[in-house]
Amino acid sequence: MKNEKVEKKYIPEIPAKEIDELKSTIQASSEKIMAENIERMKKTDPNRPQAMKYFDEISNLFGQRQRELAAEKEKGKKIIGYMCLFAPTELILAADAIPVRVNSGWYDTSKIGDRVVPVEVCPVIRSTIGAKMIGLSPFLEQSDALISVLTCDGMTKLGEILSDYKTIWEMNIPRVKDAPHSLRFWDDEIINMKKQLEQFTGNKITRKSLKAAIEQSQKATRVFRRLQDLRKGSPVIMGRDAMLVNQAYLWDDKERWTEKASALCDELEKRAERKDWVCPPDTPRVLVTGTPMFWPDSWKVPNLVEEADPKGIIVADELCSGERILNDPVGVDEWTMDDMLNAIGERYLMASTCPCFTSSDGNEDRINWLLNKVKESNVQGVIYYVTRGCMLYAMEYTRVKKALDKINVPMYYLDTEYTREDVGQMKTRVEAFLEMLTARADM
Amino acid sequence: MAWEYIGDILRLTVLGGLGAAGILTVLLWKKNLATKVTFLRLVVQAVAFTALFYVFSLKLPLLYFFIFIFAITLFLGRFYCGWLCPFGFVMDIEVMLRKALGIRYRILPERFNGILHKLRYVIVAVFLALPIVLWFLQPPQNLNFADAMAKLLAGPFRPYTALIDPLIPVVVPWTSNAVNVAHINFTYPYVQDIIFWAGQNIGVAIALVFIGLTLASSFVFRRFWCRFCPTGVSLAVVNRFKGFKWAPLLHIEKDEEKCTKCGVCKRVCPAQVTEVYEQKGGKINTSMCMLCLRCVEMCPYAETLKVNIGNKTVFKSRNWLEPPKVE
Repeated sequence: MKNEKVEKKYIPEIPAKEIDELKSTIQASSEKIMAENIERMKKTDPNRPQAMKYFDEISNLFGQRQRELAAEKEKGKKIIGYMCLFAPTELILAADAIPVRVNSGWYDTSKIGDRVVPVEVCPVIRSTIGAKMIGLSPFLEQSDALISVLTCDGMTKLGEILSDYKTIWEMNIPRVKDAPHSLRFWDDEIINMKKQLEQFTGNKITRKSLKAAIEQSQKATRVFRRLQDLRKGSPVIMGRDAMLVNQAYLWDDKERWTEKASALCDELEKRAERKDWVCPPDTPRVLVTGTPMFWPDSWKVPNLVEEADPKGIIVADELCSGERILNDPVGVDEWTMDDMLNAIGERYLMASTCPCFTSSDGNEDRINWLLNKVKESNVQGVIYYVTRGCMLYAMEYTRVKKALDKINVPMYYLDTEYTREDVGQMKTRVEAFLEMLTARADM
Repeated sequence: MAWEYIGDILRLTVLGGLGAAGILTVLLWKKNLATKVTFLRLVVQAVAFTALFYVFSLKLPLLYFFIFIFAITLFLGRFYCGWLCPFGFVMDIEVMLRKALGIRYRILPERFNGILHKLRYVIVAVFLALPIVLWFLQPPQNLNFADAMAKLLAGPFRPYTALIDPLIPVVVPWTSNAVNVAHINFTYPYVQDIIFWAGQNIGVAIALVFIGLTLASSFVFRRFWCRFCPTGVSLAVVNRFKGFKWAPLLHIEKDEEKCTKCGVCKRVCPAQVTEVYEQKGGKINTSMCMLCLRCVEMCPYAETLKVNIGNKTVFKSRNWLEPPKVE
């Protein structure tokens, strides 16, 4: 824990009264938005799966999970926040700590973040800074330490800025992942993280505990893949529901999530057998890729797609707040400590399709991932979602566009901000795209 | 006399039984394709180990044996190395021992591995050239051509038999040059040759060092010997001939789009083959692969790696997080 009295490098002094005011207003409006989002999801699919009830509850960021974490903290458990998917959650679990992802999806806090960084900066970063300044995010507040992985420019500096408040562990990620020395470097980072976690939590990461953590994650991946496989056929679940389930993994208890998501899959399988589709099977099938969409405010685009007229359904995504969370399992060859650590390193570095990677033949993995998803999920159109300031995703657009043109799948570049003001014009844009997809399908 | 007959019957029974066990295992495997290839491989290796022992006890000339290997290699590649080779089996047993002790293997630097890779060809060239060189140094007297050829091929230089030395089971039924411990004849690849060339006294010492070194190195590095095994090269080269495209050849194929390059295939490979990881897609082209299929078994993405014989897929990677479906 850092001493709050230490002079802050970045954060301006804000009177406590103002902080309290901002916090209570934004929290109240946020709670309203979360409830509204869920209402909207229920409205789109009146016959929503029973198992979604749990995820509706757990998705309340100020609700049950916050209280649980507080109780765990009282028992002496450490909570480790992370801001990027590259943080090795298996190690955190093995050290008997709780991993939670703390990126912010609040639109209002991005304006508070503007006081520290200029508006050109990615809104995810600004919003996370803003959330910390007013102490809005319960998970960010409860974290005892934060893992900051230096991926995009925003993430690189975010850790530094938040170090005004919290203990930050940086993980330096190589940008060219195919070279053998990159992997060696990253493996060292993983070993270093293990040491830091052990020191911080006071729990030694043993072969047994790490194996248990890896197996736990594999179980979660197994259920996650079941859910994605169900989305590949005729639609049995709305895309937003599945996205919420996936995202809930970021803060939920891993074991309970696995159990509940498994129950959801069972229910959906029965529906698929009955051919109880959630919307007509000829609804345009959309894939979303680009900047991560964080609950609750960034639910804007999924809401628009699935409530539009004509309606679309999100059947897959390539978001680090979505399908990328659990797609890849840790593949261990021999269950020795070194092999497990290397397997973890490889799973996080090599299998990732983050646009922060580059090489002479480009971030080819991402293209292959997208092409494979488009074919497997029978996707008819791709929405390339970019928030202003998200450079890496914006810059890869042309390449992805060319690759998708080759297989004759239309793609639409949807750029936006952390704001609600553009919902009207976004609606028009999304509907035009979906209209086009329907027309193409008719042809 | 009677004892010998009983012995023969016993041997044939065991051989038949083992063969049947092998067929049964293959059937079991076909029904439940994706379970534990590594385990199945160990079973096949054990069966092959025993079967080879009996093949040797029948005193089949090694030439027939070589032709048999040559024939299956045409279609299956270095399948022999991964699944049947007794010396490989010994190394896999060492791996099991190492795993039980909780010790991790070491990785050879990629460049050194590449050098070993090329060294195979040098070793083969030396094996093949040595008898001819010796022939010119000491031209044999009073021999006609046929006798001379026979001596060249089957004589003490053993050019082709030496090449397939690793295929000799570690326990042999005959006694020449084998070490007899408690009535069991132990032998080891190349030990016969070493003792032949270096003489009894110093030869035994060199042989012991050789045995110690090879056993220790394959304990530390997975399948160390296989990386420069002259037998391996003889097999791999055959499979590379382009003239056999019509034949139902065995290949590992990779689907580029499904692959996320997670690198599992590279890490789990006991021979440190990097081509499966590095090649973008299509048929994997390497003579280092022993077809142990560990990469296909461990690949976490369904149908990314496939093993094809001709156009037929016999085995493919699957989402191993799900238990296999049993029919």
